[in-house]
Amino acid sequence: MTHYLLRRLPSALVVLAVASFGIFAMVRMVPGDPVSTLAGPDATPEARAAIRADLGLDQPLLTQYVHWLGQLAHLDLGTSYRIGGQVKDLVADGAVNTIVLTLTALLLASLAALVCSVLAVVLDNRWVNAALSFGNTLAIALPTFVTGLVLILLFAVVLPVLPAGGTPPDGFIARPDIAAQYLLLPAVCLALGAGAALTRFLTEALRTEMRQPYVTTARALGISRRRIVLTQALRNALPSAVTVLGIQFGTLLGGAVLVEAIFTWPGLGGLIEEAISGRDYPLVQVLLLLSVTVFVVIQLLTDVVHAWLDPRIRIGGTGS
Amino acid sequence: MSTPLLEVTDLAISFSHPRPAVRSVSVTVDRGEVVALVGESGSGKSMTARAIIGLLPDGARATGSVRLGGDELLGLGEKAYTAVRGRRVAMVFQEPQTALNPVRTIGWQIAEALRAHGGVRGKAARARAVELLTEVEIPDPEERLGWYPHQLSGGQKQRVVLALALANEPELLLADEPTTALDVTVQAEILALLRRIRDRTGTSILIITHNMGVVAHLADRVVVLRQGDVVEAAGTRELFAHPQHAYTRQLLAAVPRLPEADDGVRVLADAPAPTGEVAALEYDDVSVHYGSRMRGRVLPAVDGVTLRLERGQVLGLVGESGSGKTTLGRLAAGLVPLAGGRVRVGGEDLAGLRGRRRADLRRRLAFVHQDPEASLDPRFSIGEAIREPLDVHGVGSRAARDQRVAELLDAVRLPASFTKRRPRELSGGQRQRVALARALTLDPQLLVADEPTSALDVSVQAEVLELFADLQQRLGFACVFISHDLAVVNTVADHVAVLRAGKVVEHGAAARVFGDPAHEYTRRLLDAVPVPDPTVRDATGPALHEQREQIA
Repeated sequence: MTHYLLRRLPSALVVLAVASFGIFAMVRMVPGDPVSTLAGPDATPEARAAIRADLGLDQPLLTQYVHWLGQLAHLDLGTSYRIGGQVKDLVADGAVNTIVLTLTALLLASLAALVCSVLAVVLDNRWVNAALSFGNTLAIALPTFVTGLVLILLFAVVLPVLPAGGTPPDGFIARPDIAAQYLLLPAVCLALGAGAALTRFLTEALRTEMRQPYVTTARALGISRRRIVLTQALRNALPSAVTVLGIQFGTLLGGAVLVEAIFTWPGLGGLIEEAISGRDYPLVQVLLLLSVTVFVVIQLLTDVVHAWLDPRIRIGGTGS
Repeated sequence: MSTPLLEVTDLAISFSHPRPAVRSVSVTVDRGEVVALVGESGSGKSMTARAIIGLLPDGARATGSVRLGGDELLGLGEKAYTAVRGRRVAMVFQEPQTALNPVRTIGWQIAEALRAHGGVRGKAARARAVELLTEVEIPDPEERLGWYPHQLSGGQKQRVVLALALANEPELLLADEPTTALDVTVQAEILALLRRIRDRTGTSILIITHNMGVVAHLADRVVVLRQGDVVEAAGTRELFAHPQHAYTRQLLAAVPRLPEADDGVRVLADAPAPTGEVAALEYDDVSVHYGSRMRGRVLPAVDGVTLRLERGQVLGLVGESGSGKTTLGRLAAGLVPLAGGRVRVGGEDLAGLRGRRRADLRRRLAFVHQDPEASLDPRFSIGEAIREPLDVHGVGSRAARDQRVAELLDAVRLPASFTKRRPRELSGGQRQRVALARALTLDPQLLVADEPTSALDVSVQAEVLELFADLQQRLGFACVFISHDLAVVNTVADHVAVLRAGKVVEHGAAARVFGDPAHEYTRRLLDAVPVPDPTVRDATGPALHEQREQIA
């Protein structure tokens, strides 16, 4: 298993290296200039040049890049141009909120997909299938800003049972019950699309498994259909579902930006929006690199889980 | 006479959309009896078995009566049927590679089968699993419980499927082509095992097969099906000795046979006298390795093979799976990287050729594969499929190409109207003829045919083989004919090479190799072929068990 992971590590590092340069170059190619934002419209050319030199932006691109890599190697993420303060601290504050939100959404999406697809395949009932399919299409088709507003309207205004936005005042650990209330709406809103896509995939994967010869063998042995779905088909369908889940995680990270804005959730989404519009290079770079890293790590984890679930990868054949 | 265990009366199966179905089938199986259901594809034999165990495909409807021990099964609800399946009637399937759950251990799957009928659990289940694996003669049963299916060979997988089926001591075992996907020596072992199980436990067996050799070897009684109707039912010896129905006689006549040991073929010269002419194909000490050296696992697929095929002759390559016969065939087209040695086609070394000259050489050789369904593009019409090689190589004018397609269709005895049809509108035998026509489009000097008739029914196989022999005579191409079926190779090949684990163990004139094998392994292969003659089986029965030990 360790061997399996080590084989994948080099390609992951290459992806990160390429991404870091891509991000670095892209941020500087976007029209707009941090100097003009910082100096204001009335600044003299001398003042601008001074600011530029101060930020090191007068250096050649490659020199700047190498300098940045050197900083990263020492775990120094730099100082924000506009907000002030260490990028490290800014990111750390937002990261906790965003991670809690996306992981909760991921959990909800997985649970919903598992329950819905197993129900659909076990019951194999026309009406259940139609209802699930309708809900599914709706969840995929409706954009987040619509579902978000509808959720707020329903559960915070018409039926005022949940907070309309914001983070739990006492943090996530001290009062988990209150934290859950604050988390529920944004997490559901974020989970809807991913959950629906995952449900659709898992249902189809389960149906395909139910047509496999080993299922016929099991049925010919007198094992009930429900038990076959739960103990055999699901186990075979999971590896590919995990791969899809890994890809969905990227969508969730992207979706978080919007959901955080709707529910005034102070996460990385707001931060990245602010950083991009202010051309706050150090902050933008770190945030983008962070999301690429998270994605790469998730892909690695997906492979590991995949291998763990499938004995054909885990244990090589000795027969034949 | 007591009432039979299984009594199928006037079984009819229909589908909402038209496809081969069962019209009227009546079969009985007595306790402890082995009955064979014989017929070609579309005869309804598999559907009959599926109807008995209540696992018909969606949209199929069965009428008539299926009684097991006096209880009517047809029309039972899913829940009641689940209680019958596995407990009273169990089933073994054709393809052991996919019949087991790949992500669960053998032990888990046996425990699950026991659990389904409220049987033993935990330690007792484990003990019972070991007992079952011992019964199907799997070595080291204790250890095998923790293994996954992919760690077992095909024959061992089929033994595990059999162990699952026997887990709850069913009264009736349905076996749907249980040995079709297996090598001939493994097939002989499984057949012998089935007989021993019947003798030991008294389980009745209904075996579904297209192989008359298997029938002769195992069955007490035979029921012949054709297009959903029973055409003949008789005791095995009687059926083989005096087939009543014309179709049964046709079926028996179509079975390719091996020469008897005393056919007086010994006089035949063995090695082809070197003619001084350039050979159509030469393997000169060739080796092929699979796996990478970096990971330290190198498996020789072909190991130092030297063979020569003269122009206009047919070389049969026989051997069991993994013997390297397909790899040798692919080598002729340079489709596999060589680890050592040389392959010469028409005197030219494949390795030394690049670009245009390589393409020219490839034009002179053609392939026919096992599965015509997979090797023809479903979106191409038959005419387009046959013409494609002409288009690719830019041969002749449009009219000339169409003319050539018409000639080829005629040569493989298909009507000219077939040019407009799609592959799915054709039967398996017709598709294989199209594949043959397509291979002959560019007038090849060398044809590589890899199991070209293995997917076909015996009577269709006989027709295709006859057509092949005729074309080969007329057009005079050399051919490498690969097959696991010794009798098929015997009907077409001039020379035969017997392969085992990538090495040639015996090579010579076909009649000599099959009639008077010099090598021990060839003899074992020949002995393992179930002879379509029930009088032979009692003589070979006990010997098979010893063979198994030796081969293992």
